[in-house]
Amino acid sequence: MSRPQCQPVPERPQDLPIKAELARLRVAYVKDRRLAYLGHLDLISTVERCVRRSGLPFSIGNGFARRMRIQFSSALPVGASSACELFDLRLTRRVDVDEALAALRAATPPALAPYRAAYVDGRLPAPEAWLDRTQWSVELGPACPTDELSDAIESVWRHGEIRYLRGEKEKVVDLSRTLLGFRVGEGGGGLTVALDTRSGAGGALRPQVLLDAAFSEMGRPAPDAPRVRRLRQGHEESGRIVEPFGPFDTEARAPLS
Amino acid sequence: MRAPRENLFHLLEPLLARVEHPARYIDHEWGACQEQDGPFHLCMVYADVYEVGQPNLGVSILYNQVNAQEGMSCERCYLPWKDLSALMRERGVPLLSLEGSAPLASFDAIGFTLAHELIATNVLETLDLAGIALTSAERDEDDPIILAGGPSAWNCEPLAAVFDAVLLGDGEESIVEVCACIRAARSEGVPRVELLRRLSRVPGTYVPSLYETRVDETSTRWGYAVPRSGEDVPEVVLKRCVNDFAATPAVAQRIVPYAGIVQDRLSLEVLRGCARGCRFCQAGMTYRPVRERGAEQVVAGGVEGLETSGHNEISLSSLSTTDHSQCAEILAGLNERLAGRGVRVSIPSQRLDAFGVEMAAAVAGARRGGLTFAPEAGSQRLRDVINKNVTEDDLERAARNAFDAGWRRCKLYFMMGLPTETDEDVVGIARMAERVLEIGREVVGRGVKSGVSVSISVAVLVPKAFTAFQWAGQLDPDEVRRRQQLLLHEVRDRAIRVSYHDADVSLVEGALSKMGRAGFDLVREAWRLGCRFDAWTSEFRFDLWQEAAAACGFDLAEVACEEFPLSARLPWEHTSPGVDKGYLQREWLRAREGVTTPDCTRESCAGCGVCPTLGVHNVIQGVRA
Repeated sequence: MSRPQCQPVPERPQDLPIKAELARLRVAYVKDRRLAYLGHLDLISTVERCVRRSGLPFSIGNGFARRMRIQFSSALPVGASSACELFDLRLTRRVDVDEALAALRAATPPALAPYRAAYVDGRLPAPEAWLDRTQWSVELGPACPTDELSDAIESVWRHGEIRYLRGEKEKVVDLSRTLLGFRVGEGGGGLTVALDTRSGAGGALRPQVLLDAAFSEMGRPAPDAPRVRRLRQGHEESGRIVEPFGPFDTEARAPLS
Repeated sequence: MRAPRENLFHLLEPLLARVEHPARYIDHEWGACQEQDGPFHLCMVYADVYEVGQPNLGVSILYNQVNAQEGMSCERCYLPWKDLSALMRERGVPLLSLEGSAPLASFDAIGFTLAHELIATNVLETLDLAGIALTSAERDEDDPIILAGGPSAWNCEPLAAVFDAVLLGDGEESIVEVCACIRAARSEGVPRVELLRRLSRVPGTYVPSLYETRVDETSTRWGYAVPRSGEDVPEVVLKRCVNDFAATPAVAQRIVPYAGIVQDRLSLEVLRGCARGCRFCQAGMTYRPVRERGAEQVVAGGVEGLETSGHNEISLSSLSTTDHSQCAEILAGLNERLAGRGVRVSIPSQRLDAFGVEMAAAVAGARRGGLTFAPEAGSQRLRDVINKNVTEDDLERAARNAFDAGWRRCKLYFMMGLPTETDEDVVGIARMAERVLEIGREVVGRGVKSGVSVSISVAVLVPKAFTAFQWAGQLDPDEVRRRQQLLLHEVRDRAIRVSYHDADVSLVEGALSKMGRAGFDLVREAWRLGCRFDAWTSEFRFDLWQEAAAACGFDLAEVACEEFPLSARLPWEHTSPGVDKGYLQREWLRAREGVTTPDCTRESCAGCGVCPTLGVHNVIQGVRA
């Protein structure tokens, strides 16, 4: 396969392609192993460099900084891995999806490997705002009896909110709107917790925050290094979950991005 | 005792969730060499955090060189931030390399880059965290061989006790020879002291333990080093110099970091050396002669480097990039080849003339942020003293051109404490800034909305080895502070912002630049008291340095401010970058008379001695403007 080449962008502003007309390639990728420790800003610059290395005809914005037109799904907590990260990349011309995916895979570290790509409607909202439902799994190791943790999470949930410090700032997360369900089980030599969360006006619930609150409720120290993984992301619409790659049954709403 | 080579990442990983910026420690970056089979293993160390050390070009060059050799592997290591080192000590986790997560103490050799004097306590911290004895004399037979090199190796005497060998000058060739020498000696099972003797026979390699210090009436109080009785080592170790610089790869940085680093861009070394002859500048003396790459190599290398790294910025680095005889051609070539890719080209400093502004315009595109010039001194008299061959007219023309070309902010670099400096020269800094501001207002307009501003940054001169000012004493810190206040008082326009270096930090740097081997006691005591990351403003603890100095019987100000007699044997004279002492003495005398010396890449030879001593010559691709 020949390596796609960057397309020179016309210099005159009136000749620049209009953003809505650009092809919007949605790419799903993993965030695994050591790269789970990559912060969101570092992740953004890393993915941008992968795109540049791939040779895809990415589009550049018209602003002072001439940045790549790329949007990401919401930030993962540092240390959390994921099976379902997404970015939307604007291209100046359509490239065959399989070729684009192959070019991206060849230019990306395996721990961030893209595994699916498709063109989506340019008018869809930005993924960060649009993807409001998340499923998580947390491996805790042998921390405490299953029932005890289950009861503690229930108890925290009943409080309705969690107040916690992030750096020096106090944050409040509304559990009645952000926590939709949980299940505590056993596996891999310890406890596992499955969480179903919603992000939006009530904030976004980080699994670690909920577990810290639960262990505090139990009067036990929180486990040292729980393994948090984002398993699935989607968009909640009219009581159903729309997957990132569709099908999009309804007409896309007015562009937000 | 040598630690076993094993991957210990599983010990480090549980700690990562508990520290700041864990991406510093994860390795596996794009372009990193993961095949570390050895069997000879070198670890290059930059004794500061990842984001400060990773951009270092020297480490990249040596990393590539060693990894390209059959049977040799090179890994990297940076000093963990205090949060992680504390956890590592608490859990008994030793310092690990990045690529293989192997204990540093398991390597055949460890190479430190000495980027500046204030890294000294971090070198000790690195060794301690690795479980390696701090001094060469305390190490066991099979402990790693501790090497050093880099810009601050030119007075490495305060750390001489630490290093088994110091590589002087360009390291591309010598690092491979040194590694080969260690490998051969190890395979033959020769004793450590014999191994060090063999290293001393590799040209450009200084083995401190084979020299001893003498103090007599010909020396300063720090003495001078001579070969130990019975040791067949050179009295003066000459630096290594890569003659065919253009034959080396244009792009050395192949590793693309995940974490944001201080210079987050592709850096391409367009030329090495500088012959302008600024009398305060150590790099200008120690990197001679001047060797340029051809424009074609730079442009092709830059385009290839950007494609394979994915960076969106390329920096054309060197001591003075706009001096490159094909600078205009290079920038035009890069701009043409990179059009439409959202890539920025940058050059680290601008020449103080119209050409400098023209080149800045060529790289800036539509961006017109700030433009930086370095007049260094506030009066023509003092600029002649330091051999900064620019005039008031040069600066005024450059400033006018810059404002004409669309820039609104101008930054000016100066130094304080230069020999013969008077209050008039300090006031001259303020006047010069006002003049530049006035030019900006003439060109752009006087309203607040014109956005014209000038900022001035004032460093303190730290006299360094192998410069014309190596005999000079540093300005007393109280006097530095008085002159800083004088400058602040003289700057009356609020559109001029003033920043200046901390006098205490400069004092410690100055003391370490002057001291001989006895300086090790000070460094060790400062480290023992808790000094780390001294180059970080937030971490520098002058009180601890003073306490350490008092414990060792030193007065930091007295050490740094001492002027050496011109005839004295200096503590670093057993090493040499090839510059004649006689030339430096002449330059010191000419400085005091305010007589300038021309640049030998533009006018005739100034007689510095580098070319005949090292058997090299300037390599200029075209004609310098």
